Amino acid sequence: MLAFALRRTAVALALVWLVASLVFLVIHLIPGDPAELLLSQGGSAPDPAAVAELRERLGLDLPLWQQYLTYWQGLFQGNFGTSLQDDHPVASEIALRLPRTLELIGAAAVIALSIGMPFGTAAALRVGGPLDRIASVVAGVALSVPVFVVGTLSILLFAQKLGWVSAGGYVPLARNPMQHFILLLMPASTIAVGLGAVVFRVTRSSVLEVLSRDHVRAAQARGVKPRIIILRHVLRNALSPVLTVVALHLGALLGGTVLVEYVFNWPGLSGYLVRAVEARDYPEVLGIVLAISILFVFLNLIVDLLYAALDPRVRHA
Amino acid sequence: MNAHSPVPPASSVAPTPLLRAEGLERGFKGRSGLLGRASTVLALRGVDFTLARGEAVGVVGESGCGKSTLARVLLHLTPASAGRVTFDGHDLAALPKPALRALRRRMQLVFQDPFASLDPRRSIGAQIGDGIAIHHLAPAGDIPAKVGELLAQVGLDPAHAGRLPHEFSGGQRQRIAIARALATGPDLLVADEPVSALDVSVQAQVVNLLKDLRTRLGLGLLFISHDLHVVRHLCDRVVVMYLGRVVEEAPAAELFANPLHPYTRSLLAATPSMHARDGSGTERAKAGLAGEMPSPANPPSGCAFRTRCPRALPSCADTVPVLADAGAGRRIACPPVLSEIAHA
Amino acid sequence: MSAVSAKTSKYRRLLLPGLLLALVVATVAAAPLLPLADPVKQQVAARLTGASAGHWLGQDEYGRDVLSRIIWGGRVSLTVSFLAASFACIIGSLLGLVGGYFRGVIELMSVRLAEVVLCFPPMLLALLVVTLLGPGAVTLVLVLTILFTPGFARVAYAETLTARTLDYVTAQTALGASSGRVLFRTLLPNITPPLLVQFSLTVAAAMMLESGLSFLGLGVVPPSPSWGLMIRAARSVMEQAPLLLLWPCLALAGTVLLLNVVCDRLRDALDPRGAAVGAIPGFLRRRSRAPLMAAPAPTAAPSLLAIEGLTLRLETGTGPLDVVRGVSFSVPPGETVALVGESGSGKTLTALAVMGLLPTVITPVAGRVSFTGRDGTVRDLLALPEAELRRLRGNDISIVFQDPSSSLNPVHRCGKQVAEAILAHGEGTGAAAARKVVDLLRKVGLPDPAKRAGAFPHELSGGQKQRVMIAAAVANTPRLLIADEPTTALDVTVQAQILDLLQELKQEAGAGDAAGMGLLFVTHNLAVVREIADRVVVMYAGEVVEEGPVAEVFARPRHPYTAALLSSAPESDAEELTAIPGTVPSPAALPPGCHFAPRCAFALPTCDASHPAGVEVGPGHTARCIRWREVA
Repeated sequence: MLAFALRRTAVALALVWLVASLVFLVIHLIPGDPAELLLSQGGSAPDPAAVAELRERLGLDLPLWQQYLTYWQGLFQGNFGTSLQDDHPVASEIALRLPRTLELIGAAAVIALSIGMPFGTAAALRVGGPLDRIASVVAGVALSVPVFVVGTLSILLFAQKLGWVSAGGYVPLARNPMQHFILLLMPASTIAVGLGAVVFRVTRSSVLEVLSRDHVRAAQARGVKPRIIILRHVLRNALSPVLTVVALHLGALLGGTVLVEYVFNWPGLSGYLVRAVEARDYPEVLGIVLAISILFVFLNLIVDLLYAALDPRVRHA
Repeated sequence: MNAHSPVPPASSVAPTPLLRAEGLERGFKGRSGLLGRASTVLALRGVDFTLARGEAVGVVGESGCGKSTLARVLLHLTPASAGRVTFDGHDLAALPKPALRALRRRMQLVFQDPFASLDPRRSIGAQIGDGIAIHHLAPAGDIPAKVGELLAQVGLDPAHAGRLPHEFSGGQRQRIAIARALATGPDLLVADEPVSALDVSVQAQVVNLLKDLRTRLGLGLLFISHDLHVVRHLCDRVVVMYLGRVVEEAPAAELFANPLHPYTRSLLAATPSMHARDGSGTERAKAGLAGEMPSPANPPSGCAFRTRCPRALPSCADTVPVLADAGAGRRIACPPVLSEIAHA
Repeated sequence: MSAVSAKTSKYRRLLLPGLLLALVVATVAAAPLLPLADPVKQQVAARLTGASAGHWLGQDEYGRDVLSRIIWGGRVSLTVSFLAASFACIIGSLLGLVGGYFRGVIELMSVRLAEVVLCFPPMLLALLVVTLLGPGAVTLVLVLTILFTPGFARVAYAETLTARTLDYVTAQTALGASSGRVLFRTLLPNITPPLLVQFSLTVAAAMMLESGLSFLGLGVVPPSPSWGLMIRAARSVMEQAPLLLLWPCLALAGTVLLLNVVCDRLRDALDPRGAAVGAIPGFLRRRSRAPLMAAPAPTAAPSLLAIEGLTLRLETGTGPLDVVRGVSFSVPPGETVALVGESGSGKTLTALAVMGLLPTVITPVAGRVSFTGRDGTVRDLLALPEAELRRLRGNDISIVFQDPSSSLNPVHRCGKQVAEAILAHGEGTGAAAARKVVDLLRKVGLPDPAKRAGAFPHELSGGQKQRVMIAAAVANTPRLLIADEPTTALDVTVQAQILDLLQELKQEAGAGDAAGMGLLFVTHNLAVVREIADRVVVMYAGEVVEEGPVAEVFARPRHPYTAALLSSAPESDAEELTAIPGTVPSPAALPPGCHFAPRCAFALPTCDASHPAGVEVGPGHTARCIRWREVA
């Protein structure tokens, strides 16, 4: 297990290096001078003096390898760059907003898993029955509605028409815990709609697949009680594929938060990112992309380790 | 047909065997250790072997002994890690790719599983005709007629050439696979467990077909099997393998009448027989073999069989026994038995 | 025939969503030809007006026609998505195909390079590219192509990796085919189905992402209509005009839903394992049915197990099929009965019927399985409720399956799985069970049993795993042990060990004794039967064709099938083996009359006309043949 964990961690660190280097290269590999590109927003040719000034400020006049070293030096000191618009360090803004995005993702995952897994299991155990048919149709529809459509329509329904909740916003936990969670509920549920449908589908097919395996029949042949068979021999084995698919959807999940934070005015990392993209503030964009990608790599690492904990064959491989 | 082969036939001063393998090794990469360092598992650990024109040689052994790997390495479908395979005097590894492809016309393969060896999406006629088309053995217009002849030769209705593989039973598919192999007019047919996936009642059909084709076409046959009875019925000579090495090699009749190597003895004794024995299982119990074949990743030192051998000596752990002449055209890799023969 | 109709019905399910999708595509494609209002023409005076004859869906915040904008917007969304998915499909499939076939450096340069994209969450990568290139339809196509190429590369790569080791691909190489021929004639056609599924999945995903970016104002540039942009605009006026929000949402979700349904149906139609539902184990279905025969339980028969007239029916898409018909035989205590037959003969189903472990698509429709329990009561196992049958399973009756590797749960330790058998039928504590497990593992001949109990199944060899399965089966000293091809997956030398072990266990349980353990041994190997069984039951095409004492049947077989099987074995020194012509008939197309007649050397015209009954041909020896006297 330890060897496996170390090996996976080494791979994850290599990926972080790769991602960071790619982010660095992106700005230098695209055709044209980045400084010029950044300043040519209005379509008119930028002022050469301004370009030269920006080049110097960003260190773009230095040789590439030197820029690369400076870049890594900065990363190790927690320096993700400085905003072009207000000279604000990107890292401090990330530190402020990242926990809010994580909270949103975590809440969404909890809701999705706690709905998708029980329903998926129940549907598989009574495959072809009424619950299975209805839940499968609902999941099919849920998967097809884009997350911003769900968000916008639920604001229309719950906030505008019914007036149950406010249309969005954020209150820090410390100030008003009750209000904080009320405001969290709608954006988290919005993300959970699609994710829950994915979890439902995977759980259902995974349980169905495990049910047809020989070892379930063997347990039955030993006279093991049905309840124990389902818990110990079916659900326990069906967990690994669910985990795998949830991991594959992590990327889409992180992307979904961009839209949901925008729709609900949730002050997480993503709103910050959209603002930065609109302003074409490339140090900010790169900083955020880097932060989220590193987060993504580490979330995948955690999933890998969980996977090994669930399946002895993986950790011995 | 030779006009199509860019390789001139090797000069036949001395009778070259059709197929010769020298010191064949084949490793597969595995993973071990903290950071997944690559380690190599040897499936073949030095195999020497020849097959004369028109000869039928059986290769027997249990799963993991390397017999299927041997089939693929001999046909250069998997390159050998070390050693050399020569077919009719041509070193397969040294041949340029086009020449190797041309030479493949003369050596063909029949697989174990007839459900996996045919492309499910193409008609059987098209698949049988592939070899003829690839090697330009007949004008395109003549191929259907040739395919019909081949189907008839393996006992199938030529009118069925347009059907897809799923319309045939296992035994019929194996006949189709054999027809495909025969299409190029090979000198050597390698058959990797061709009957073990078939129903008992159709196995004999395919065995008879192979035997008949061999005598009729003068084919060299390399027959790989775990079924000793079939090998005995079909082959002139038998090679017994254990953990990637040949442990005994002998004419078929003599091997079955008087197995010399302790592993061959145990293998024969463990094989159930339909002929009545005095009290069920007692003979088997006598020669019973303890334990199972060790992992090829971590084989015992010296003689690989010594951990299960009823007559192992301490010295067996020291050196890897080599195949040595045991008289009457037989060779075994077991020093204790060899010295016994020498003293007798 | 049945396979063909099942296939067309699978494709029929594709018809409706496929037609609807075609309708959507045709509508947006024909947008310039339709009598639609100009989608960008503003009419500020008529802003936010509802539906009217001229504007069926009303007008938006600039007074533009909503219906026209939806159709033109769909044109943009679908074009961008289809283009991106097509580019990604072509590039990705080629990368995957080439990477998977050649491996090595080429794999690194193609598939692995494409996968680097997957290190980034897709939305972020899209935003990054938009930052650098600015928004617009061309940027969108580029972004989406980059994002979805690795998906195709992965699918094509995985499929190629699987396919390239398949025998029919190797066969092409062995024939001397060039790499190009193998790649495009053999591999590509065979990996197309999953790529097709991936394509429809990708179009849907691309539409979601495209509309999301446009919604953020970073995709399609106004005033071009796009569903995402329309939702974005309608959001600000949703208090006054909620319908304005609804229409583009419906259009977008509906189209994605259609694409997803097409994708699901396509997957079902193309996946040969689509109908896995039939394999659901029986314990989930309540099996309650009245005893089939009202007659009181028979008999002072000393038999441990008596099967009478067992008929098993398979429900297929084209109707019921009786796969086992009228099987009768018995297993006396202390004896070994071998059930022999080829694949499809119904031998394994018969064994599973005794255990009540039949898959749900197969049900017993006639017959009786009488079992004498430890307490001496005789019960019809077919009529027993599931809960009562469960108490017998692993207790009075046990079974050992063919493949020990798949019969052990890979995530639990071996000892725990053996202990389950003990704890399921006793009050004992876990600690007591654990001690008993070690004793059992020692009894079945596992070296170092305490250590083996703590091992996971993958740490043991095949033979060792089968010993663990046997330990679990004999944990409660069953009266009847069923062994279903227990050595078929094992090597000859290991097979010998397992056969010896079964013999030993039987001796220990008092062979030949009235209280001894009966063994029902299911196999296709006649030589194994000869070695271990007292009696043999030969099955062919779902029926018993011969039954008798082993020595008698082997010396004087009375059914032509048994006789032919015995003489076709390559043990004789004959130059030519006696082969049985033809093939085993499919249960859907059984020959009329005697089912073996078309392959039989003794067949008469009457054999095709009437189905023979079993005849007593000697003491305890029956055969289902009218010419039994001439056979031996």
